[in-house]
Amino acid sequence: VSPAAAPAVISPQDPTLLIGSSLVATCTVSPDFPLKAEDLYWTLNGRRLPAASYAALGPSTLSVALARLNGSRQQSGDNLVCHSRDGGILAGSCLYVGLPPEKPVNITCWSKNMKDLTCKWAPGTEGETFLHTNYTLKYKLRWYGRDNTCQEYHTAGPYSCHIPKDLALFTPYEIWVEASNRLGVAVSDVVMLDILDVVTTDPPSDVHVSRVGDLEDQLSVRWSSPPALKDFLFQAKYQIQYRVEDSSEWKVVDDVGNQTSCRLAGLRPGTVYFVQVRCNPFGIYGSKKAGIWSDWSNPTAASTPRSERGAGGCDPKGGEQNTTLRRELKQFFGWVKKHAYGCSNLGIKLYDQWRVWLQKSHKTRNQVGKEP
Amino acid sequence: MAGADSPSAALRRRDLCARGIRLAGKMRSDVVDLLDTYVERQGLDASASVAAVEGVPPAAVERWDEQTGTQRLLENLAAYRAFRALLAQMLEEQREQLGEADAALGRALAAVLLQVSAFAYHLEELLRLESRGPPSEEGDGPPPQPQGLFEQKLRGLGVLRELAQWAVRSARDLRQLAKHGPGAGSAPSPAESP
Repeated sequence: VSPAAAPAVISPQDPTLLIGSSLVATCTVSPDFPLKAEDLYWTLNGRRLPAASYAALGPSTLSVALARLNGSRQQSGDNLVCHSRDGGILAGSCLYVGLPPEKPVNITCWSKNMKDLTCKWAPGTEGETFLHTNYTLKYKLRWYGRDNTCQEYHTAGPYSCHIPKDLALFTPYEIWVEASNRLGVAVSDVVMLDILDVVTTDPPSDVHVSRVGDLEDQLSVRWSSPPALKDFLFQAKYQIQYRVEDSSEWKVVDDVGNQTSCRLAGLRPGTVYFVQVRCNPFGIYGSKKAGIWSDWSNPTAASTPRSERGAGGCDPKGGEQNTTLRRELKQFFGWVKKHAYGCSNLGIKLYDQWRVWLQKSHKTRNQVGKEP
Repeated sequence: MAGADSPSAALRRRDLCARGIRLAGKMRSDVVDLLDTYVERQGLDASASVAAVEGVPPAAVERWDEQTGTQRLLENLAAYRAFRALLAQMLEEQREQLGEADAALGRALAAVLLQVSAFAYHLEELLRLESRGPPSEEGDGPPPQPQGLFEQKLRGLGVLRELAQWAVRSARDLRQLAKHGPGAGSAPSPAESP
């Protein structure tokens, strides 16, 4: 590749082609250079192309025929190069072989505390286009207003965009994504949403997990509602999930309601638990819809106390018996609810409450020094 | 030239040279890493021979040992100013062609551009210690634009290779400057008077 006069010229220069196309390219040596067609050869991405695909079109012009092209090896284009016999580079052309974009799909959006909007989508093509494909997220107020273009991309993954401000409430937005590359443009379906329907918040803060006195199967969880909720939301639902330290299986407590504390019961004594809490800004400004669950809070750990009764402390056999008994009782209560009418209040929670009462009464008797 | 020979100027020169040598070493290491990424992304052969490209200052120099320290500084400054413009053009081309698709390559190019700018500033500081000061940048037009996309790729390869060589040369130039001062070449010469 030279300065003033290029030694040769390739045609076509930097073409864009569909996968499966064929191409005939020519390399013509400049009259200033003493090279003939038989002095030339071709490479594609560094690999020499077979001489059987060449044809001399003139004394200083050599063509090459490429059939059924595959998608480009790199997004910067495949390098089709014309060489002199000694390997020198005379000229090159970048081939862009790929597919036009398909329309982006699965647009989902959420607003953090009603202040902004983040949307993500999936590219329409299951494989890839082999070409650099640009995505532009656009939005406008439903019945009026001009098209706006999102500016901050890749904030929540490669196919995402963040609109930080100037969003209106109480009027739906139309949102869509345009995909474009050298071979064409595709536009997603339009999604319509009201900011108030896709609100999420920060996770609850100040999550504390503590023991409930000496109760060995319970932990108390307390948290604060996310600060942003204080100003405009009075209904918020919470969920808790917890697991034992050496397990990956989370248990979810769904019916926490809008309290900011909860007691977990039926836990294993002397065991470390991880606990997380999340929040849903339900019923914002009178909306009947649920919002979007926040991320889980960072895990907080705490351990249940271990029983001190009996010489040597913990009786593992006794512990196992309790677990089996509790499991059986739960199954029994489930059966009762189905088959025995008028016993709807019976449940495992009642059993847990009874156990709490039992332990409290044992403690009191021990403190007083009386034996049962 | 009395000011340039004063003990404080000599101390400042040695300090600037030492820092410049460290900067040149880091720059070379980063450019070599960038070269690996660049050839991979552009589908080039790392050993492809690229003819001298217009606007890319060659690091090769004849009769280097006959040059004075000041002459070496001036050549270095002209080279790094040219590389600053060439790398800025490469960064712009990369963004146009690939957008944010190759953020890693873009970031690496931007980081090297920053180092080249810093090194050019360093050289200007060294020249300010001489009475003449650094030459102005007027008349330095933008580098010539390559014709096609393949030429763009090859020019980028040439720019990065030559920059890696310049980093080696610059470190040597600064070592000589620290040892002998601005008025002398590498050949042994009488010690300068304070």
